[in-house]
Amino acid sequence: MWLTTSAAGALVVLVALVVLAGPMGVLDVPWWLVALAGALLAAYVAVVPQWRYAVHRWEVTDTAVYTQTGWWTRERRIAPMSRIQTVDHVEGAISRLFGLATVTVTTASAAGALAIVGLDKDVARRLVDELTVKADAVEGDAT
Amino acid sequence: MTPHDGAHVTEPDLSAYPPPEPGTELQRDAEWQRLDPRMLFVHPIREVIRFLPVLIVFALARTAAGGEPWQLLGVAIPVALGLLRYLTTRFRIAAGRIELQRGLLNRHVLSTPVDRVRTVDLTSSPIHRLLGLTTLKIGTGTASTSDEDRIDLDGLPLDRARALREQLLRTSTADDAIEESPDREVVTFALSWLRFAPLTGSGVVIAAAALGAASQLLQATGFFERFNPETVRLPGLSLVVLVPLLVAAALAVVSLLAIGGYLVTNWGFRLTRTRGSGTWHLTRGLFTTRETTLDDERVAGVNVSEPLGLRAARGARLSAIVTGLDRKQQGSSALVPPGPLAVVERVAREVLDSAEPVDTPLVGHGPRAVRRRWTRALAPAGVVAAGGVLAVALGEPTWLLAGLVTLPVAALLAWDRTRSLGHALVAGHLVARSGSVVRRRRILEADHVIGWNFQATWFQRRAGLTTLVATTAGGNQAVAVLDVPEGEAVRVAQAALPHLIGEFVELGDFPAQSAARA
Repeated sequence: MWLTTSAAGALVVLVALVVLAGPMGVLDVPWWLVALAGALLAAYVAVVPQWRYAVHRWEVTDTAVYTQTGWWTRERRIAPMSRIQTVDHVEGAISRLFGLATVTVTTASAAGALAIVGLDKDVARRLVDELTVKADAVEGDAT
Repeated sequence: MTPHDGAHVTEPDLSAYPPPEPGTELQRDAEWQRLDPRMLFVHPIREVIRFLPVLIVFALARTAAGGEPWQLLGVAIPVALGLLRYLTTRFRIAAGRIELQRGLLNRHVLSTPVDRVRTVDLTSSPIHRLLGLTTLKIGTGTASTSDEDRIDLDGLPLDRARALREQLLRTSTADDAIEESPDREVVTFALSWLRFAPLTGSGVVIAAAALGAASQLLQATGFFERFNPETVRLPGLSLVVLVPLLVAAALAVVSLLAIGGYLVTNWGFRLTRTRGSGTWHLTRGLFTTRETTLDDERVAGVNVSEPLGLRAARGARLSAIVTGLDRKQQGSSALVPPGPLAVVERVAREVLDSAEPVDTPLVGHGPRAVRRRWTRALAPAGVVAAGGVLAVALGEPTWLLAGLVTLPVAALLAWDRTRSLGHALVAGHLVARSGSVVRRRRILEADHVIGWNFQATWFQRRAGLTTLVATTAGGNQAVAVLDVPEGEAVRVAQAALPHLIGEFVELGDFPAQSAARA
């Protein structure tokens, strides 16, 4: 999925660049700069999704949810079960193509939302149920 | 906007709630209430002021075309609007809910449970004060930014508003054992604090705003067309005298504006502690007075910030990190305006009910964090300086050598940032300090930490550092400890909330499942 999104993004950038530099002549840059940008984008498409995939982890226990995301900046987030406020299940257009879904867990803090991206749809649904039940079982008003 | 069908709010089951004690403010408000009749004066005046531009146009038109009676409509409409606003606004506090109804065409009913009340603000504009009224603003920590969704009871007599506030907050904390005890003054405004006003940078903001307004006015009156620089006779001074003179004049104006702004917002500043109900009570304002009440339980921590100018004069300002209030409502969370550091620290100690978090020397972050500060400051400056030197070498004008100035500035910055950097975990509080231009010491109670984020870029990982972020429900939503060594970050997080992190961290080894592959 990441391969697709990043490839699509890179393609858009590249096409825009070529169009701007070539026929329209808006950007006055030498051809080798365009080629360099193309090569960089290709490298990005080839490497970053793999890297991302290697970094991304998640885990749910009885008391907390844990995620590890990112590629250049690696971010690990931990939220205790008792502070969970909502559990979202989102299927984007591209994720649907692959039968994947994203589960987002939010807490009272705007900085504390955890997103588990690219889960198998069924796994995601089961996870949502599990989280909802567990979060419900803990006392407190989550602030 | 869709019209709200608010008239059909289901009547709550009143029997579930004990009736409020007779004779109290809450009991009076159990029935639908209008706001104070004196608002009949305030609303029309305010509407007239709002319509003032239109009225002026009308007046001009009248003098041009000769007086005609229909033009009095210009005054009548705002007055009528004001009356209608009064007649269509009602509120009640019953069955554990606050309900506010308003609007003639789009009827709008707001309703919120009393136990969700987090802050109660009383704001009185000069018109209100003249009539002994005040606006009661109820803060529930909602994320909605729409004006429509705020609960403002605009126009209550001052004593009624005060009684209502006390009872609302008492209900929301469910604190039955209230012993009457006199409020204790924690800090009051001193005139000597004015010396900090010019150092805050707020003067520059006011000056810029004033300048903008003035230039717009001049533009509107066609000043720039008529202004011809060559006709202005310069006094017989050389540029060397004139430039410093202008700078000094600008500085003086900015300082005066800053002092003025400081006086207007902070005149009569007083922070008191209501012992019995456990609330902090804050009053301030010269023209528009503002009273804020903070519930002790919702104060998650404090933020001592020292901008460069203030720090040089040994000053600081203090704000509270309040659960449910975010940065946009900063006005409600300020505890001490720019004032002497000693006062700020004393108040911080009192608010936290513990001296240690304010006074403990902080743990530094080790040589690798120091190196990172230096590289981060020097690298961009180095690029600028090198670029300047290169350009001069290639025959560009020599003033580009000024780029070299960035080097010592960056070095100073790095040195100061290194000195500021630190953290501590004492007496159940997480303390983090960082920054140079604005140095902040954030103190957050460990109980109010919601979760942890560990952020590390590739560079940070290579240096074995990580940024530990404690998320919380108030203030900036997070307190970040910059560039801590990884092991120390885990240790701090574990010590603060023992049960949370232990199961994930086993000597830096994070066991985890893998996400599904695309």
